[in-house]
Amino acid sequence: MSPGWLFLLVLLIAAAGYVLGRSRALSATGGSLRTMHSLPGAYGWNVAMAVLIPSLLILAVWTLVAPAVLGRLVTPMMAGQEGNLSLLMSDVRRVADGLLLLGEDPASITTEGLRDRLAEAGVALGQDVSNATLAAAARYDVLGAWSHWLLTILVLSVALGAAALAVRRTTPTLRARNEVERGIRGLLIAAALVAIATTVGIVLALIFNTIKFFQIYPASEFFFGTTWTPSFGGGSELGILPLVWGTLYISTIALFVAVPLGLLSAVYLSEYASSRVRAWAKPMLEVLAGIPSIVYGLFALLTVGPALMLVFGDGGLGWMQGGTAVITAGLVMGIMLIPFVSSLSDDIINAVPQAMRDGSLGLGATRSETIRQVVLPAALPGIMGAVLLAASRAIGETMIVVLGAGAAARLSLNPFEAMTTITAKIVSQLTGDQDFSSPEALVAFALAMSLFVVTLCLNIVALWIVRRYREQYE
Amino acid sequence: MNDMRLFERAATVDEVKIRAKDVNVHYGIAHALKDVSVDIGDRLVTAFIGPSGCGKSTFLRCLNRMNDTIAAARVTGAIELDGQDIYDRRVDPVQLRAKVGMVFQKPNPFPKSIYENVAYGPRIHGLARTRAELDEIVEKALRRAALWNEAKDRLQSPGTGLSGGQQQRLCIARAIATEPEVLLMDEPASALDPIATAQIEELIDELRQTYSVVIVTHSMQQAARVSQRTAFFHLGHLVEYGETGDIFTNPRDPRTESYISGRIG
Ligand SMILES: Nc1ncnc2c1ncn2[C@@H]1O[C@H](COP(=O)(O)OP(=O)(O)OP(=O)(O)O)[C@@H](O)[C@H]1O
Ligand SMILES: [Mg+2]
Repeated sequence: MSPGWLFLLVLLIAAAGYVLGRSRALSATGGSLRTMHSLPGAYGWNVAMAVLIPSLLILAVWTLVAPAVLGRLVTPMMAGQEGNLSLLMSDVRRVADGLLLLGEDPASITTEGLRDRLAEAGVALGQDVSNATLAAAARYDVLGAWSHWLLTILVLSVALGAAALAVRRTTPTLRARNEVERGIRGLLIAAALVAIATTVGIVLALIFNTIKFFQIYPASEFFFGTTWTPSFGGGSELGILPLVWGTLYISTIALFVAVPLGLLSAVYLSEYASSRVRAWAKPMLEVLAGIPSIVYGLFALLTVGPALMLVFGDGGLGWMQGGTAVITAGLVMGIMLIPFVSSLSDDIINAVPQAMRDGSLGLGATRSETIRQVVLPAALPGIMGAVLLAASRAIGETMIVVLGAGAAARLSLNPFEAMTTITAKIVSQLTGDQDFSSPEALVAFALAMSLFVVTLCLNIVALWIVRRYREQYE
Repeated sequence: MNDMRLFERAATVDEVKIRAKDVNVHYGIAHALKDVSVDIGDRLVTAFIGPSGCGKSTFLRCLNRMNDTIAAARVTGAIELDGQDIYDRRVDPVQLRAKVGMVFQKPNPFPKSIYENVAYGPRIHGLARTRAELDEIVEKALRRAALWNEAKDRLQSPGTGLSGGQQQRLCIARAIATEPEVLLMDEPASALDPIATAQIEELIDELRQTYSVVIVTHSMQQAARVSQRTAFFHLGHLVEYGETGDIFTNPRDPRTESYISGRIG
């Protein structure tokens, strides 16, 4: 039985357990709720939980672990073959899957023409199937079938056994409600653990690959090198400084555009706009904040770049050689961040209590005096947090840079020159066929790690500031 | 009410400072204030009393147009300050509020230092030319609001870090530092202990020499102690208005009588 069906069957058993547990609790008291510790539904859930937790756990662990175990069992059969063992094993797995698809008896099948038939069934192989591979694949299938049967029997017996036990335990005095409560807590913890584990996994992968990179490329040259000239033929210089400079330069321009405009529009929206204007302007801003950055990238490439060229290009002031430049990407990124800054600041300004404004207005202050001297200072820490969040978005932005700023890694002060950022270089180092043991590919992980550390610090500072601000009013 | 220390009732100068005529306030469809007409005398303390929700704060906010900040509020009728209609187009509410100061029902210190809280009004209106003058204004206001002794060593610490009663006195200091002509005080002693209350009542009596003061209070004794005129509000109506002594000893309306004797409230 396939895991999917097994899963449905377990759910069915749990549902039956729910009904049984509930009715048993009810009948034991003759339907009087007063003498029961919990509501009838809780007894039902208690049984359902007793079924679901162990059987689904077994199901999940088995499905995750089985392929690895089967592989281990079959590997010795391929030991004598020439070639990379792990590549051979992945062939074995593919052939094994293909045999199941063809639906033939593994005992009677031969290698002749097998590759073509497998290809017809949708399983593409790099080379012809050898006898050893076929034998291993057949063995793999036999073992797999065994594993399925074992799993089915185990899960079903655990589910049924748990159901029977839990139903027998159901008496009116059983604290079913508390047990269900504990179950819910467990569920929430499990969800949180999955989220945390994924994050930890990502960070670990980054760290390990970064370490690998530093084993083949000196860290000092990476952190302090001023040239970025990767060449897959070898002898490349991989200094992060030009990329850091490009990132900071573009982000700074973006923030110079986004922070004043975003903040002023937030002040207008929260303090001056009538509720009618607010009602459509605020959702509009939020829609703007949801536009994918690639769209802004196109905007940079097709509209802003050429427009800047008209003014600063050869036809105009002659400062600009091409449409892709730091200033193009910075401006467009700034435009992208305006709704982000203004939407966050608007929420923060609105959180300043009306009593504060009344106090100032009641003393004969004008509206703008009130905003400048009372509202904004009160909201300042929160606004700082919003700006830092915007900064970490600017630093992590990729598409606008790829399309708007060009690809040249350069240390220059001229905003009309093309430059590039860390994120854009991560993309270019990993696109195409890569050998993941060369420094030119591994450097992407070191870049990503540096970026991760920087944005992490920014976010921590931002959250810390925002939290301090919260404490003031609560 | 034997402990009442009735101040001299007769008004020294009986001029009208604020004249309100047929004032109605609606919050959306709710009719909160109904045809209120009242003359508030200059250099007098006027007390507004009445059960909770009867419209005392609403009427108080009409007097310096603080209702403008509430989108749902609609005020009709005429209110004159020194004979000038304050709801007239030509009147700048900002200037009006500098003349008619307000202490709110809930203390609302700014998230600034104690000093900056008190200096806020004088700074905005340019009342002090030098730092020393400003220091002086701040000290005087804090002394009059009976907060100086507690605050003098922590003028630079945040006003929001004070206790509830201290915050209330800080807001009073902030309001009087601007030197308004009329001071509207919405339950200024609701969170104060008896000693601080007495000090604030003394302040109110002292302010009467130069300003007119309107005070909302739930304490009948306080109204009797500090005010010369009392207005009794009930369900949005101004039921009775007159000499404080008359209202308390000889109320004409049965509702006033039952309120001050504690039967409705
Ligand atoms: N901002 C507002 N929006 C809508 N209704 C309001 C608002 N402020 C006051 N009201 C209503 O107007 C009526 C009068 O309120 P007001 O605050 O003037 O009462 P009050 O006499 O000051 O009461 P208290 O002694 O409890 O402070 C109440 O029924 C109240 O619900
Ligand atoms: Mg009130």
